[in-house]
Amino acid sequence: MPDKNNVLKGRPVVAQPARREFIARIAGAGVVVAAASLPHELFAQAAEAPKPSADPAGTVPNSAVLAEKNPALKPHSERPLTGSVTAENHNFAVTPNDRMFIRNNLLTPDLDAGKHRLTVKGLVEREVTFSLDELQRSFPVVSVQGMLECAGSGRAAYVPNASGTPWPPTGGMGCPKWTGVRLRDVLRAAGIKPGTAHVAGQGGDFGVIATAAPVIRSVPLAKALEENTLIAFAMNDGPLPKIHGYPLRLVVPGWVGSASTKWVHTITLLDAPFKGTFMDSSYRIPRIAVRPGEKMPADAISTEAWPVKSMITYPAPNATFKAGKPVLIEGRAWGGEGAIEKVEVSFNEGASWQRAAINSGGDKYAWRIFSYEFWPQSAGYATVLARATDDKGNAQPIVPAWNPLGYFWNGIHRVGFMVEA
Amino acid sequence: MRVAPAARSVVPVITAVMLAIGGAAIAQLSAQEAAPALTLTPGKGADLTMARCGLCHEITHITRARLSRGEWQDNVRNMIERGMPIAPDEIPIVVEYLATYYNRDSAAPAADPAAASAAAAQDPVQRLLGDNACLSCHGVDQKIVGPSFREVAARYAGDTGASARIAGKIKAGGAGNWGSIPMPPHAGLSDAELAQLAAWILTRK
Repeated sequence: MPDKNNVLKGRPVVAQPARREFIARIAGAGVVVAAASLPHELFAQAAEAPKPSADPAGTVPNSAVLAEKNPALKPHSERPLTGSVTAENHNFAVTPNDRMFIRNNLLTPDLDAGKHRLTVKGLVEREVTFSLDELQRSFPVVSVQGMLECAGSGRAAYVPNASGTPWPPTGGMGCPKWTGVRLRDVLRAAGIKPGTAHVAGQGGDFGVIATAAPVIRSVPLAKALEENTLIAFAMNDGPLPKIHGYPLRLVVPGWVGSASTKWVHTITLLDAPFKGTFMDSSYRIPRIAVRPGEKMPADAISTEAWPVKSMITYPAPNATFKAGKPVLIEGRAWGGEGAIEKVEVSFNEGASWQRAAINSGGDKYAWRIFSYEFWPQSAGYATVLARATDDKGNAQPIVPAWNPLGYFWNGIHRVGFMVEA
Repeated sequence: MRVAPAARSVVPVITAVMLAIGGAAIAQLSAQEAAPALTLTPGKGADLTMARCGLCHEITHITRARLSRGEWQDNVRNMIERGMPIAPDEIPIVVEYLATYYNRDSAAPAADPAAASAAAAQDPVQRLLGDNACLSCHGVDQKIVGPSFREVAARYAGDTGASARIAGKIKAGGAGNWGSIPMPPHAGLSDAELAQLAAWILTRK
């Protein structure tokens, strides 16, 4: 397999016929993986050694996933597994592993890092395959703190309720530190052919039934070449947890989480967006807002970068404070592709706003910490609202535009607390 | 911790499934309903819907949702794209059931246990078929993902060891006898249950 010199001289070893070719048949644009080409091996293994368990062979049971999570992380669904913590449990500069949200489309695969391979194919000068070791030895290893947020984060706040998992307004995001190699370095080692427009990731997850469509999503080449887009093998300085993509995942920070393929084993360069159900029927929003309750229009567009958003991480709802003593309001703000320009807070339900302090610096796609020292003068129930604005002048709306699949909820967060005399 | 009366209206109802999403103080959440039911409302198509959707999802995905007919159509179409095994003539039955009992725009009619095939609930084989999602991939007369039960019965006709062989296949799963799509193993079934299913399948011919 390729050593460092080979890769850097542009002569990586050409891949053998893909070891797991049956999983990864995305031959190019316009080819949807045939359902019948899905992992036979998995069930074949199970047939030899049946387990007295409902969990298919080669998967991590939900109970094992949740055992590694903070008790504050609550599942929103079990099949597939999704879950998150609420805003007051996000009061960390860097999201710890045990509070990172979970969003599976299929089961959680139990992969072997030693056997795992990453293949880059499609519109490349040469198809290349790397082991984990080879990736780490062949390319500069970088660390980036970056936001990931499920496209449906906040869906439960839409009225009427939109179709899909009812994510609470503040749960489905996190900003861990990722370590890996830059996707662009790996793509360039394979040689990006002219005409490449999109880059698709496919991971090693599979469904309960053999006909379950593989989760394949693609991003435009420019985002794939962005320096913060990684093939990550570590999260917060340790190996990726199994639920977060062990041993290898894409990290496309600032964009909807589904772009960041977990358990990635195949990257395919395409001349157009990948055609498949997870591109063409999911993760889409209307180009022009539709009346609430209407179906998705035919000319809908793919979700990409998140719009500007913020949440209040302190105090927790219904916390109690004393009048005349300061309350240090704290929160997080992020902006997809935009930088946070300002965060304002209001203590009178939005009648007037004050500028919060924002920590400057930090990685491009990391959230910003904002704070405001509030001096409650009188006893009673108080509320704080937070509203972020990005450097393009986009501010969080009071109520985001309804869309059929309930994506991109970025409404103003509001927390109530009690002030005692 | 004290909860002021004014705060109660913005604290979401804590449901059985979405345990404690409390704390997200967004006014809209006050509209949330009580805990979603853990079973489908009995009615025409309920068993089929359970068999098809329940293969990959817990049923609260449906019972907590209230969608328009169009959105249910979109959902079912989307799930078919994602590999849901369903026969063409079953699609309108499932959509009709969902759009009747879980509709945002119209109140659900009363449960209709008669239409929900009371016989199925009492017949142990039907219960096994439903609980183990057999009917998601096999029709009695119709090939779906796997062969129809009638085809299986026909192939094993006259084979004196058929019952044990079929029981073994159900338990271990696997591929190759009928095509390349593998059947998942059903290791949790007892020998008695396996024998019951095998006997039932063999009488479908």
